[in-house]
Amino acid sequence: MADHAATHDVTHAVHDPNIGNTGLDHRKMGMWAFLGSDCMFFGSLIGTYLAYKGKSISGPTPHDVFDIPLTSYSAALLLASSLTMVLALAALQDNRVKVAAGWLLATAAMGLHFVLNQVYEFWTFVHHHGLTLGTSLFGSTFFVLTGFHGAHVTGGVLWLLLLVSLAWRGKLDRRDYTKVEIAGLYWHFVDIVWIAIFTIIYLIP
Amino acid sequence: MADHGTAAATHGGGGGHATVKTYIQVAIALAIITGVEVATLYVPGIPNPVLVISLLVMSAVKFYLVVGFFMHLKYDHPIMRALFVGPLAIAVAIILAVMALFSAFLLLPRPH
Repeated sequence: MADHAATHDVTHAVHDPNIGNTGLDHRKMGMWAFLGSDCMFFGSLIGTYLAYKGKSISGPTPHDVFDIPLTSYSAALLLASSLTMVLALAALQDNRVKVAAGWLLATAAMGLHFVLNQVYEFWTFVHHHGLTLGTSLFGSTFFVLTGFHGAHVTGGVLWLLLLVSLAWRGKLDRRDYTKVEIAGLYWHFVDIVWIAIFTIIYLIP
Repeated sequence: MADHGTAAATHGGGGGHATVKTYIQVAIALAIITGVEVATLYVPGIPNPVLVISLLVMSAVKFYLVVGFFMHLKYDHPIMRALFVGPLAIAVAIILAVMALFSAFLLLPRPH
């Protein structure tokens, strides 16, 4: 039985249309290439923010509006969600599909909480501090950078919920490991972008 | 069938994987570093260049931990590493180039 399974695995690997001549999964390579290009996208936005930092001719300034405790909490949420994401992957590898679905749901919930925190932050900036996209260089560069990151997180949450839905309907098992791994790569990427944004935008005076 | 998951995990181009214990250790390290980062802001008297460099170093360590262990890049195929690290280096170059264009440097007094 074990031999049969091993033979099946080898055959599966040989005939897997997703594996190319390099022996690498096309989908995973595609995701890494996309994440590399996204690095340059966010690099441009972060560079623009830094280039215009301190050059706004009208307020409010970052010091006036930033809520460091709230943002730190959001940063902790994303870091924790990265842990639950890898725990989901580990559970799927052991074919504990329901456990994996639970971790994926926890990851999505923390991501959603992060997005809601960001919505609250934006709402506060607009309504309490009068900072909008058109107020100043700070407003435009800040909202564009963090807004695009928030959009990435929102897309990730939807992707995770789709995986949870598949798991609940019995359409996800450990043969789909790479699908979940690719979603995980995307999710961890939004985490590392936030690691950069949190330090460069919020913490550095 | 038990091998199937491993095969699925590795034939996509990776080598081994970190264990759950490693994941938890990494998460604890990330939490501690984040705590230190935020606490540093509230310590009075730290010179700005020291503060900026400390924050950037801690951020880089967190970045490495997530990419290396959670994204498995530490264990992954060199082609995957090149696909990510190459554009990442270009992204850093873009940030530095744009800052240079606008004479905007974190550690230096800003011209008005």
